[in-house]
Amino acid sequence: MSNYVDRFDAFDRIVHWTLAVSFILLVLSGLGLFAHTFFGYFGLFGGPQQGIMAHKIAGVVFLVCSVLLFLRHMGELCRFDADDRRWIVKMGGYLSRRHEDIPQGKFNAGQKLFGIFSFVAALVMGITGYVIWEPTAFGRELTQFSLMLHGLFFVLWMVGMIVHVYLATIGNPGTLEGMLYGQVRKAWARKHASKWFQKVAGNR
Amino acid sequence: MKRKAFLVDTTRCTACRSCQVACKQWNKLEADSTVNRGSYENPPDLTPMLYNQIHFIEQDRGEDLRWLFINRRCLHCADAGCVKVCPSAGALYHTREGLVAYNRDKCIECHYCVNGCPFDVPRYDARRKVTKCHGCSDRVQNGLLPACVKACPTKTLQFGDRDQLIAEARAAGKKLYGEKDLGGLGVLYVLDDEPGTYRLPKNPAIPASIFFWKDVVKPLGILGFWGALGAAALHYVTVGPKKIDAPDEQQHKGGE
Ligand code: SF4
Ligand code: SF4
Ligand code: SF4
Repeated sequence: MSNYVDRFDAFDRIVHWTLAVSFILLVLSGLGLFAHTFFGYFGLFGGPQQGIMAHKIAGVVFLVCSVLLFLRHMGELCRFDADDRRWIVKMGGYLSRRHEDIPQGKFNAGQKLFGIFSFVAALVMGITGYVIWEPTAFGRELTQFSLMLHGLFFVLWMVGMIVHVYLATIGNPGTLEGMLYGQVRKAWARKHASKWFQKVAGNR
Repeated sequence: MKRKAFLVDTTRCTACRSCQVACKQWNKLEADSTVNRGSYENPPDLTPMLYNQIHFIEQDRGEDLRWLFINRRCLHCADAGCVKVCPSAGALYHTREGLVAYNRDKCIECHYCVNGCPFDVPRYDARRKVTKCHGCSDRVQNGLLPACVKACPTKTLQFGDRDQLIAEARAAGKKLYGEKDLGGLGVLYVLDDEPGTYRLPKNPAIPASIFFWKDVVKPLGILGFWGALGAAALHYVTVGPKKIDAPDEQQHKGGE
């Protein structure tokens, strides 16, 4: 019997990593617009104008992938039950070494919140990005507000992404495998997503 | 170097528009083609090829027509919103005289600056680069008056040592617009009415969103980045990772 269960199908994985690559391109091409310190990053794209163009293209890819991922997992992400509330109260047990036994579905409450945040933030970035695509196309106040929101949500993204990467890699060994080749170890599933594991294991 | 400034005494202006023409000539700017809108004001706004413009305020007062004129242009703010938002260091900059000039070669065509400006001044040319009044920094550096000032026949436009211009205007009992705003404007106006009448903000300031973006969000970003990295590192070495095979985790009534 296999030691693994399927977690993400190939489509999910491809969209997720396309999203990740576009995110990295967005950060690298956008940093030069965020602060003088990072102006040199435009060099990676062959110049500021090319960097801005890359930012726009990566932005569209990023938005499309975000919407796709959200639509595919919307059902799981937007349903919170008593266990999820318990998870949130206990901060997912991340504040102590002891294992908190809070049964979770395919995604734990933190992942759900992050999933919803990602989607909302992607929409905000998309809409404000559209307004500042050509910063003289819309009214001045709308453009000024969009520039500010675009910067603010970039900062929130950055923080969210650091937490996401940490928790999905060294913070929770075994998690990354699910996104790399689609399967996680059964022990991982039992520990991190017991309700989901029961459901998929029961189906066997 | 002492700060230089323009003083625009609108009460003297006859709307001859020598300044508009002189600027075009010195800066080799083509004419804009416009349409007759039933006013002598022409063009109706600053354009990529019009760095200063005489704005006509035409008020119908029964029998009378009240005519006010104002020379619109970049106000050469000390605390300039355009410089604040420009991502390319040196594309927009303060000259030694305190004028806000620009280097088109460094402009990256992002078009942020017009949104940072409290007065909606910068425009973009056919190459998508920034254009606006640069205070004739080239002339000023060589001891000449700005072209528009030189051409003004009524002494509406004056240029010189900022403190001295202020002192003279005070001595003549004139009230100045822009003495303290935005770190002190490089274009001081003597107005004949409320600033609003001349399409000038009463208390000019960096737009609120722009201030929040540059002075709150940006520092917050640096804090957030290092804070999040630090928190993750701290978590890893104190609480540690949630290992799959950590003892005491299994068989604790798994899925109840
Ligand atoms: S358009 Fe040019 S001058 Fe204006 S903010 Fe962008 S880089 Fe700076
Ligand atoms: S008036 Fe506008 S363009 Fe001129 S210095 Fe001030 S912010 Fe810059
Ligand atoms: S100072 Fe020079 S660039 Fe500015 S409006 Fe006058 S002539 Fe034009």
